[in-house]
Amino acid sequence: MSVINFEFRNEVLKHNASLSYCYQCSTCSGGCPIALITNGKYNPRKIIEEAILGLKDKLVESQDPNPWLCSTCQKCVELCPQKVELTEIFTLIKNRCFESHKYPEAFYLQGHSVFENGIAIPYSNAIVARRKTLGLPEIKTAPIEEIKTLMKETNFEKNILEGNK
Amino acid sequence: MGYDLFLGCVIPARLPYLEVSSRKIFEKLGIELHDVDGFSCCPDPTGIEQIDHKTWLTLGARNLSLCNSNGGIISFCSGCVETLKGVNYSLNKDNEAKKEVNDYLSKVGKAYEGKVEVKHFAQVLYENLDKVKDSVEKPLEGFKVAVHYGCHYLRPSEIIEWDDPFEPVTLDGIVKNLGAESIDYDLKMECCGNPVEKSDKDLSLQMIDNKLKAIKESGANCVVVVCPACYQQFEFNQRELNKKNNSEYDFPIFYLSELIALSFGFMPDELGFKFHRIKPSKLFESISFTV
Repeated sequence: MSVINFEFRNEVLKHNASLSYCYQCSTCSGGCPIALITNGKYNPRKIIEEAILGLKDKLVESQDPNPWLCSTCQKCVELCPQKVELTEIFTLIKNRCFESHKYPEAFYLQGHSVFENGIAIPYSNAIVARRKTLGLPEIKTAPIEEIKTLMKETNFEKNILEGNK
Repeated sequence: MGYDLFLGCVIPARLPYLEVSSRKIFEKLGIELHDVDGFSCCPDPTGIEQIDHKTWLTLGARNLSLCNSNGGIISFCSGCVETLKGVNYSLNKDNEAKKEVNDYLSKVGKAYEGKVEVKHFAQVLYENLDKVKDSVEKPLEGFKVAVHYGCHYLRPSEIIEWDDPFEPVTLDGIVKNLGAESIDYDLKMECCGNPVEKSDKDLSLQMIDNKLKAIKESGANCVVVVCPACYQQFEFNQRELNKKNNSEYDFPIFYLSELIALSFGFMPDELGFKFHRIKPSKLFESISFTV
């Protein structure tokens, strides 16, 4: 059984007050390319409904519907007659999933790479050589210690290292 | 004047040939791009932002704090543009968040002010459309182009503030001015599916398959994109889909800068076309485009 979690509902509302404008018309789901090809198994309206009700266990624990299927195409945000910022709300939900270590591995890999290298895709020797052949300049990316300091400050380090299980 | 060039991760570290054409056309147009040391990942609005919004804001603000060209920042990547515009948007409307981010940045001796304008390279090109048109030496006759705008070039429109979110005109306008034809197709405004790959590869493949099917039916002979994620989705998955479904996709995928460079008279060799998985040379032969 799902339990209403008022604290979670208030947290979402604090993050993005537009949640309270939703009147469940389902325009978002009607325009969603993922809802279309999953026959509604992925359903943005339902995620918003669960957020309004504060059903944290559904959203974060069982992930039904699975918020990680959002393609971030932002169509729902444009279409919503009530100007609910759906993808901002989905972001908060996914952030909470991250803190609970319930997220697809590809996100871990990217997060880990940015933490270790400052960039999502480190430069391989082959690419460095290819850049030279193509006449492209050498790239000096961010000092890694500086990026690590910031990612410690925002608690990212703790969450990404704990997620490595 | 001129712009600070924000390269991001995917183009310079995986698809450097796309950087070649992009740099060449701006040089030809006399629009200065300055390389800046010390940028990190933008960070990815479909990746890092989804797992930690605060980190996304902080690293994005740090990147913006490094910019000092009058024109602001230009990027060849729609994802980087969305992040940098999005960070500006979020921090400029939320003083509390701005203060928090600046507290973090002070630990590394940086400060975010929020005054740097961010532009997509296609926006700058459209704003200089007359110059682009005047530089065309070889009109792209026979190119029937399926324009793919992608999502983050347009939406959320409140943040991007460029072109119409559902009925855009800028990329079609540029393509037509190169002498090519823009072919209308079903699902033109749909997402390529790339961001979903991180969560569900099959869904992601289904999305690009649907788009390619529609493009095939339209009679287009190539695709143009302005985002490296879209580029990879179109370019890397055609063979996989052909193997899986016995389809016969064979569309060369051009970055907008590549089409422009071709029309400006640059040679495929100097643009690194040999690094494409689906070689454009076949198309050139079939439409008698001499290079």
